[in-house]
Amino acid sequence: MQINGIPVADTFAEAFAMWGARVLITAENEKWAQAAARTMTGFATSVIGCKCEAGIERTVPAAETPDGRPGVAVLLFAMDSAGVGKRLVERIGQCVMTCPTTACYNGLTAEESVMVGGALRFFGDGYQASKLLDGRRYWRVPVMDGEFLVEERFGVQKAVGGGNLLILGDDTAAALAAAEAAVAAMQQVPGVILPFPDGVVRSGSKVGSRYKALIASTNDAYCPSLRAVAPNTQLPEDVGCVLEIVIDGLDLPAVEEAMRRGLQAVARPGIRQISAGNYGGNLGQFKIGLHALLNGAGETA
Amino acid sequence: MSALTFRLRHEPQLRVSLALLVPQTLARLSPAAIPEMELTWGSGAIKVGELFEIRGSDASHLVFEGGSPKLDRIGEAMASGEIIVRGDAGAYLGHRMAGGTIRVDGSVGAYCASGARNGFITVDGDAGDFLAAALPGEHRGMAGGLVLIRGDAGERAGDRMRRGVVLIEGSAGDYCASRMGAGTIAVLGRTGAGIATGMRRGTLLLRETPELPPTFNDCGVHDLGFLQLLYRSWASLPGGFAALPGNSLTVRRLVGDLGNGGKGEVLVWV
Repeated sequence: MQINGIPVADTFAEAFAMWGARVLITAENEKWAQAAARTMTGFATSVIGCKCEAGIERTVPAAETPDGRPGVAVLLFAMDSAGVGKRLVERIGQCVMTCPTTACYNGLTAEESVMVGGALRFFGDGYQASKLLDGRRYWRVPVMDGEFLVEERFGVQKAVGGGNLLILGDDTAAALAAAEAAVAAMQQVPGVILPFPDGVVRSGSKVGSRYKALIASTNDAYCPSLRAVAPNTQLPEDVGCVLEIVIDGLDLPAVEEAMRRGLQAVARPGIRQISAGNYGGNLGQFKIGLHALLNGAGETA
Repeated sequence: MSALTFRLRHEPQLRVSLALLVPQTLARLSPAAIPEMELTWGSGAIKVGELFEIRGSDASHLVFEGGSPKLDRIGEAMASGEIIVRGDAGAYLGHRMAGGTIRVDGSVGAYCASGARNGFITVDGDAGDFLAAALPGEHRGMAGGLVLIRGDAGERAGDRMRRGVVLIEGSAGDYCASRMGAGTIAVLGRTGAGIATGMRRGTLLLRETPELPPTFNDCGVHDLGFLQLLYRSWASLPGGFAALPGNSLTVRRLVGDLGNGGKGEVLVWV
């Protein structure tokens, strides 16, 4: 199968069951809302090393936020709901509460929820106060610029992490341009984030390592400089650069839609093949076939 | 189905409790059984049919026509549905209310919304003393829901209030928010003496700077973001609370009562 004359490998992306939350950060202006969101989503590229994956979903106009100020929606994912709760407390406490003028609201209606503001309130050292409005409790924590307002509980739901595309290009310039185009298209999909730097990852990994201390190591099958020595290289002779885009989403349809848009956007001159990463189908709960996506179908197998 | 309507036949000579006439009780009764229900009437009893002319059948929507300040306990422990009172109501309106809506186009007596846990009460006229307050011997007053008084409130509004929102478009009598434990009270008119005496927690939002006890300290003027959430939650209400003064978040924050824990706040728009 091809898109715009570019081969699409008959393979699948192997995605995993995760738990996700949406955090809505507002501030006096968009600059500070973005500052808090960027800080909160820093060092959150992979659960392997960061304990969670997080990214900015979208900017939220003032007319859509609870307090009428400019906002930014952040999605955060971890392997279980308790993990989401711990990471939210850490990251909202260290990155949002510390940021001037911000407030922080739950942005996800879900059956389950985790305590966030109810834990952060203790920073108020007894001076904190709460308001219960329309069934939702908000904590007012006194801080040096006034009050930090944070919702007591945040909704969490089952989610999907690890959807991905592999872009095999002639060289770095071609692969990078295609990846940037794909990221721009995929970021338009609600409910997904691309957790790596500006959405792109170059150090794709495989499970395991020859070193016992490591649970993951470089994906040598896709390293161009190892084409002639890696035992199971997947690279044709003319591929000089491979970049990956990883997608986490609040549900499978959102991840699939992002991948579908990414496939279309990445098919451009200088790309030799579009593929996806998997572990043989033995680890992840979801197998998202590239051909099935292009045929309008969803998850395969 | 039309609303189940109780039209008062005559002004009652004695106080009468309408606690049994709530949607969850009436829904279980046949139309024939309702006039035979006995209401507490002074120290005795009176049948519903003797006091009211009854029409309609929808027990989830009750209407009391021809109100009286002697009609006590309207909507007591009400769990859902709607009660409309065309005229005045007596004491304990919405006492221990757990849900639903009560609308009164006249005035109400003492202890309106006392012990209410949820629900919405609107009074177009005035409210008597002890609005949303605790009954004698009880530790907690109103514990949830929202009460909107379009007129004035009597003394000790919000005494020992535990949670919820009380909005008074007119003025409040003496000792408003006394011994208040939590929740929010807002008054657009004037307030009386002894305001917030013994206040432990909660928020009292005022338009005019009150005569506070000396055990309140002035923490200065601040922009408080949570007020925007309050205003938005009131935006659909009738009357003045839907359009507060420029939706201003800027208030003077007076904290106290420092003689009683000191975690309450009186906020005055500036």
